[in-house]
Amino acid sequence: MNPYRRATLLCSVGLGTTLTFASSHWLLAWMGLEINTLAITPLMAQHHHPRAVEATTKYFLTQATAAAMILFASTTNAWMTGEWSINDLSNPIASTMFMAALALKIGLAPMHFWMPEVLQGLDLLTGLILSTWQKLAPLALIIQTAQTIDPLLLTLLGISSTLVGGWGGLNQTQLRKILAYSSIAHMGWMIIVIQYAPQLTLIALGTYIIMTSAAFLTLKMSLTTKISTLATTWSKSPILTSTTALVLLSLGGLPPLTGFMPKWLILQELTKQDLPIIATAMALTALISLYFYLRLLYAMTLTISPNMINSTTPWRTQTTQTSLPLALFTTAALGLLPMAPAILMLTT
Amino acid sequence: MAVSKTTLKTLFGVYGVIHRQTLLLPSTLRCSVILSSRSIYERDYRRPGQPPDTRWPWQKIQFDFSKGVEGIKKHIGLLKDEFVQRWTGPEGRPLIDHMLEQTRVQWEFRGPESLSQWVVSSDQEIGGRSEAYIKLGKNNTTCMLYGTLCSTPPRDGETRYSGYCTLRSKQPLASFDRKKYYDWSSFNTLHMRIRGDGRPWMVNMSAETFFSHQRDDIYSYFLYTRGGPYWQDVKIPFSKFFLSSRGRIQDDQHVLWLDKVSMAFSSPRTLSSN
Repeated sequence: MNPYRRATLLCSVGLGTTLTFASSHWLLAWMGLEINTLAITPLMAQHHHPRAVEATTKYFLTQATAAAMILFASTTNAWMTGEWSINDLSNPIASTMFMAALALKIGLAPMHFWMPEVLQGLDLLTGLILSTWQKLAPLALIIQTAQTIDPLLLTLLGISSTLVGGWGGLNQTQLRKILAYSSIAHMGWMIIVIQYAPQLTLIALGTYIIMTSAAFLTLKMSLTTKISTLATTWSKSPILTSTTALVLLSLGGLPPLTGFMPKWLILQELTKQDLPIIATAMALTALISLYFYLRLLYAMTLTISPNMINSTTPWRTQTTQTSLPLALFTTAALGLLPMAPAILMLTT
Repeated sequence: MAVSKTTLKTLFGVYGVIHRQTLLLPSTLRCSVILSSRSIYERDYRRPGQPPDTRWPWQKIQFDFSKGVEGIKKHIGLLKDEFVQRWTGPEGRPLIDHMLEQTRVQWEFRGPESLSQWVVSSDQEIGGRSEAYIKLGKNNTTCMLYGTLCSTPPRDGETRYSGYCTLRSKQPLASFDRKKYYDWSSFNTLHMRIRGDGRPWMVNMSAETFFSHQRDDIYSYFLYTRGGPYWQDVKIPFSKFFLSSRGRIQDDQHVLWLDKVSMAFSSPRTLSSN
């Protein structure tokens, strides 16, 4: 793609999210979301491949539907209460419709069906933008309105997302689909605690972005999109293989890695709020996700995939990809747990 | 001459409009003409030369209770299998199988039930006179596709060329008739064992056809048969398949993505240019 066009589109994507962050009026927030959707559409379809075009179409249709529902919910609220402000979403019908629309936007179960298909059709960098940056604006709106939304709805969305994210990811061999289901599961963790402690949602979002970026950039560095080619990364870059193994464990939420932080804090908050059953259910569903992360780890590090050549290290030219972002995100994904108190202080 | 032809055409067009308007004047007829006309993007296939099917949807229902009960049992069984398969691994097999496999036999003809995975069609669908049939060969280990190819175009006023026979694999279906796709991402070659009669064939594959944009997208490659008494092993790498849409080869070519292949079929092309 022409670099000027790519720069313009990336800036528009940033503008859309920033506009939604900065708005207190529903129409401006909706406009930011629409700018976001429209700007990322050419980025997704830039390769003109039929699958990329299909993924773009699916993404555009779902996001446009969600945006239309948001507009409808906000106009319903304005009709009933006369308020356009985001913080004054008092009509229950409007708030439920709004939550359903935003759940569709970020891919929460049961509105998650578009996510694996869309991510599968994209290249890894655009998939990374979709999994991380595109979640910011809708989550900002959810955090602002969480107090007015039915608690049962939020809990159901959270638990079903973690369940579906775990269960759906079990059967996959394509890595982008696995990361899509991982995204669904992590969104579930973010939503479940939003009504009790929004700062934990922000912490979960931040750590999720760091870990997912590390995962996507690793896959981009080793140019793999399925488990069978992931199994040959040990011969391409042994250091990357070992750090990726740890990043996967971090995604699974194991201590002493960064991914443990949000899960521990969220379970602690749920227990404090006297919801032990929900906390237990969340912990158990996290185990299902952990299973497929461990399966990736097993395929990558604990097995030697059959190669057709005799030597163990195939010849590979020096990569021209920039490795600094990968290094930064990997370090952050592995080593931020001891800073948990500082991060908590930052977000409260 | 040309001027008179165009004036004739416009006259006919005007006459047609006037004619239609006379139909529209009585109010009852007017309602039926407007409501029963279909858009050009109707889904059902219309055989060239036939009028469009303008029945109402409720006139197309064929209700059968026992078939319904059997269908429910079958689909719930398939759904249960899908849930249970997840415990084992991708596509119901352990991951180690998936990682270690180098070849997979997708279709083989062993017994009469293997023929039910294939659909044979010829240009009789569009009114031509070709015929094609499949039957099991000797010892129930091979399948024979036989018939006659007739390239006389049907006289329906629309079709100019004709003469084809097609052997197509059925779309695999999951529970409740959802489309299922083959995941051939571990492989890079299509290997067929065939014995032909010397005619050139075309191997076509289609991928995801969810949207109308890609509905007619087919990836094709040629298959030249030898016609001898010996069997031929044909290996076609998937990267050789070229993209065409509605029979027209696309300028913007892309490689076939193997993680969602939906069906493969082959059809002979006649070399005469009728």
